[in-house]
Amino acid sequence: MKTEATHENNSTIIVVSGTVDALTAPDLAKALVNQIAEGHVNLVVDLIGVEFMSSAGLRTLLGAVKESRSNGGDLRIASTNPGIDKVLKMSGFHNIAKVFSSQAEAVSSFGS
Amino acid sequence: MTPTYRITRAAYLESLNDFREFIKGHCANAPGINVEILYDVQLAVDEACMNIISHGYRDLDPGSIILDLEFDPDKLTVCLTDFGHSFEPSNAPIADADAPIDELELGGFGLFFIQQSMDKMDYRVTEDGNTMILTKYLRKSVGG
Repeated sequence: MKTEATHENNSTIIVVSGTVDALTAPDLAKALVNQIAEGHVNLVVDLIGVEFMSSAGLRTLLGAVKESRSNGGDLRIASTNPGIDKVLKMSGFHNIAKVFSSQAEAVSSFGS
Repeated sequence: MTPTYRITRAAYLESLNDFREFIKGHCANAPGINVEILYDVQLAVDEACMNIISHGYRDLDPGSIILDLEFDPDKLTVCLTDFGHSFEPSNAPIADADAPIDELELGGFGLFFIQQSMDKMDYRVTEDGNTMILTKYLRKSVGG
């Protein structure tokens, strides 16, 4: 798994690629927590390049949603993989956080 | 004769990818298995193996996880065997996906995802180990 962060307008985009399972989820958690600790509380997590995500990845995202909101920000998702969408829907994540079908839509949802 | 394939790995997180790749490799040309079914099976196996690693072999030296894949015309069966602590599926905590975020229990999604991804889950404890039997029907009209 790899993460790459860029800052655009009012948000920080974290592009994730590879697989997010119990082995790699702690690295994703670290990447998200570091951004929030640096004051980048509006996060767009781009999962479009992720091939597989288990409940370990979901737990990481839920933890980061809570953390960003408690710091006055939010975490939004960009995802197009049907398997990952199913994981997000099964868990009710769609009801908790906003999920977009493109990175651009997720970024623009934060305004400029 | 039903084609059956087996992989055995140590109960380490590093083995999760091996199990996923094994399933992907054997499902690639199997009739009736599309990407959605493949993801469901990989997800269920990943969650079940995580439970074995986290709970089954808790306080024990990590033992083996044996994965058997069985292809029938109407179903795909996955058997996962371990030799750690057994559990009672009906007593295991399951996440409540409808709970608000502040109350959402971050554990318990594993078993929930297994049940949501597969059509049938059986669990047997014998002197030969603990075996979780997961079934995915390939034609919804047959058995589910």
